[in-house]
Amino acid sequence: MDRRAFIKLTAVTGTSAALASCGNPENQIIRFLPAEDIVPGVAVWKPSVCPLCRAGCGLTVRVMDAEADVVRDGQPGIVRISAAKKLEGAPEHPLNRGGLCARGQAAIQVTYHPDRITQPLKRVGERGGGRYEAISWDEAISEVVLRLNALETSGSQRSLAFFARSGASHREALLRQFLARFGAPAPITYELFGDLVLRRANGLSFGREQLPTVDLANARHVLSFGADFLGTWNSPVAQSVGYGQMRRGRPGVRGSFVQVESRMSQTGANADEWVPARPGTEGVLALGFAHVIMAEKLLPASNAGSAGRLIGGWNEGLADYAPQRVEEITGVSVARIGRLARQFAQSRPAVAIVGGPPLAHSNGLFTALAVNALNTLAGNMGQPGGISFTPQLDVSAAVKADGPAGAAAPTLAQLAGDGTASGSTPQVLFVDGANPVFTTPPAWGVREAVEKVPYIVSFGSFLDETSVLADLILPDHSFLESWAEALPESGANVSVASVAPAVMRPLYDTRAMPDVLLDIGRRLQRPLNFPWQTFDEMLAASFGALRPATADVDAWTDAQGKGMWSGTLPAALTRQSETTPGAPGLTYAFEAPRFDGDAEQYPFHFLPYPSSTFLDGSLAHLPWLQEMPDPLTSAMWSSWIEINPATAERLAIGEGDVVEVASTQGTIRSAAVITPGIAPDIVAMPMGQGHRFFTRYASGRGANPMEVVAAVTEPTTGALAWAATRVRISRVGPPDGRLILFAGGIRENVGQGR
Amino acid sequence: MPRWGMAADLDRCNGCGACVVACHAENNISTVGPDQAAMGRAKHWLRVERYWEGDFPDVRLKFRPVMCQHCDNAPCEPVCPTYASHHTEDGLNAQVYNRCIGTRYCANACPYNVRFFDFFNPSWDKPLHLQLNPDVSLREVGVMEKCTFCVQRIRAAQTQVKAEGRGLRDGEIQPACVQSCAPRALAFGDLEDPESEVSRLSRSPRGSKLLEDVGTQPKVAYLARLSDV
Repeated sequence: MDRRAFIKLTAVTGTSAALASCGNPENQIIRFLPAEDIVPGVAVWKPSVCPLCRAGCGLTVRVMDAEADVVRDGQPGIVRISAAKKLEGAPEHPLNRGGLCARGQAAIQVTYHPDRITQPLKRVGERGGGRYEAISWDEAISEVVLRLNALETSGSQRSLAFFARSGASHREALLRQFLARFGAPAPITYELFGDLVLRRANGLSFGREQLPTVDLANARHVLSFGADFLGTWNSPVAQSVGYGQMRRGRPGVRGSFVQVESRMSQTGANADEWVPARPGTEGVLALGFAHVIMAEKLLPASNAGSAGRLIGGWNEGLADYAPQRVEEITGVSVARIGRLARQFAQSRPAVAIVGGPPLAHSNGLFTALAVNALNTLAGNMGQPGGISFTPQLDVSAAVKADGPAGAAAPTLAQLAGDGTASGSTPQVLFVDGANPVFTTPPAWGVREAVEKVPYIVSFGSFLDETSVLADLILPDHSFLESWAEALPESGANVSVASVAPAVMRPLYDTRAMPDVLLDIGRRLQRPLNFPWQTFDEMLAASFGALRPATADVDAWTDAQGKGMWSGTLPAALTRQSETTPGAPGLTYAFEAPRFDGDAEQYPFHFLPYPSSTFLDGSLAHLPWLQEMPDPLTSAMWSSWIEINPATAERLAIGEGDVVEVASTQGTIRSAAVITPGIAPDIVAMPMGQGHRFFTRYASGRGANPMEVVAAVTEPTTGALAWAATRVRISRVGPPDGRLILFAGGIRENVGQGR
Repeated sequence: MPRWGMAADLDRCNGCGACVVACHAENNISTVGPDQAAMGRAKHWLRVERYWEGDFPDVRLKFRPVMCQHCDNAPCEPVCPTYASHHTEDGLNAQVYNRCIGTRYCANACPYNVRFFDFFNPSWDKPLHLQLNPDVSLREVGVMEKCTFCVQRIRAAQTQVKAEGRGLRDGEIQPACVQSCAPRALAFGDLEDPESEVSRLSRSPRGSKLLEDVGTQPKVAYLARLSDV
């Protein structure tokens, strides 16, 4: 008798004995035989890739046995499965080097979330009502194929639209291929805090339309303009690793750090010097520094090269940005401008970073170009302690895809605007990992535009504001149940391609979205003829084209074991940055930022900012993150509005009071948090809460700041200038118990609870 | 016999809170939900404290991760009538959950506010329970819980090196918070070993202990942010 047969026998006899002996339902639980070999109590570690933001950090996942509730042949019972238990940063990953942020730690709750969609669903009842019925995969895919065939028959392939998550990956490359082969435009990848402006600026300054990799570890001085680089911006874990090194990793050397911003971010709290500047004037300050550096001949002006030539008056020493004028515009004193400029020029290497609110204004492109020029003036491009660009794998080249090039995607604003920009309203809309109904200003009318689409398919694992409008839901596996991969845009000075096979078996009747696309492609009346039958064939083709790490193992095998490939890319496989060239000879000068709402009626700048826990709100469904105290306020499960103490006193607003925020777009209410880390004429609010539909943990909690944000854009990119709305605030009532703080007072306060 | 301690370099710590969630994930700390959290019943064995100084625009904010300080002269221990709160031979301030009768004297005595009472049985909306760490016991209603320095990881490592017939390497044991920390602000190890990283950091001229003057003899050293010295 082998082990399996023995267990089978004891399981059967044990169960029948229990059934016979007592009526306690606990003892009647059916234990099914596991489908995999598991040694109870022994942990194994498997690589994976964090899916929560674009950074693409490597994970190692602790996998052990666990007992899952299942139904087999209509019989409920439990089965022992291999289950992910804990996510850790992969120690050898070139980005995160063993570290993992709070959000990444909580990513495991995506897989085990109680409100995950467990099988294909078809809408019943009104659209948006959230009522669905179960449907088989076969029926579901047939329905999609039918719709796409109808588009093909009527020659309107272009009216297929796709909302996708942004960020380079094989998944994204496959999706582009799918759309191009079908004849539809490229996917729409709107991201609220999406750095579009910075990419465009980097394209103009450096010929690379890409986010920068900042070598913090080797920098002696860091000058950051609004970038929350230790919290939410770019590649925060890689940057935190570098930050630790910068501060304390070199004997006898401690890098210094200055942050320019008007609301103290988690990153800004760590600065040696915190410099508030008026919103939308950060670029002027950067050029003020450059002016001083050139005037005092601390660094040669010729350093700045093409990045400098983009700035009007650069070669004349930036006469328009003399400290006196810069003080008038930015509110930073002449003496301080001089001192900070000298510090920047004399600490070598020094690096400037720009991101976040300074670029979320109508003049954001100028601000980014100004900081780029300052960086090149410091001569730090491609140098240790400076800025570089991570070479990225060109998936199409690696897999030798020879399909047609797709048409450009309309922007979300165009799509929603009047439906005319791309010809007409889409007839079929696919949604994957994006929730633009939640993250766009109401004036864009995205919700209304989506509602007009006759047929919507979502690949989401959860019902959110966008996917609740779907007619059909084809739920994806979680990242732990399928191939996880990413092609990081920044964070390392070598090329990195993260990839890992499934860590555990799927818990539910879900399917990997790339495989569903390939399946649909096969079943169309005009099949799309992909060279791969499954997604892993595509991955194998791509990684197979890479240089092996060692002589005795190929790159694909090696990458799966390690969770990533990293090394030098041959030129043929390196992604060529799509650069939008500027007009020759065009220079940029400061223009006052444009705000929505006049200053009389709306005296405050409104700053919605990426939440430390929820980013743009896409992570509000994870209970660990809801209950994690916010780093700056200690708030949990809450929405709040940050107000300067002097302002609060003037308006008779107390901590926790309910405050109304009104803009030209609408009003929202939330609790006041009174904090000294914000300018008196600014009020700030984290994104993330205010979901109407987003699981039991986030639905109906707090307010969504986007509801008052106006549709001001940065004109060259069309990116939303999310910091360009003016508001007025007023107290509407005493605390309503909805602001929950972890800190302060004696912990047990039953009487003060709601 | 080792003596476990920790060092937190506040010049590296940037307040991100990764350690807070890592601790939840490792130690089966249940979330209590908004209603209970509003009553002050949220449990965070490790928290990141914030200290604001000054007024706008000359404002500063300092972060400080605070967990059980595993005091050598722990005020929580002598007040426990059942010896649930006690000192282990290797210097951990341990809590035996099934001895605890929930007097909460220890929480009253602790000057660091790092002990958390379970006001109800923990629950996880299924299948969130699949994530639970089988190496860490669940705490039921009426029990006090707190940071253990991830004792399960300490014991697992000790068992492992014993089986391999070798000694522990410095840094081989990483509590969950230490492991998650990207800027490497936290270090854990044996304070008896003068060469260990935690010993070296604890001797730093930037070092101090939290509320040291109340005589608790804490085993967590905090290294000041340089600009604050």
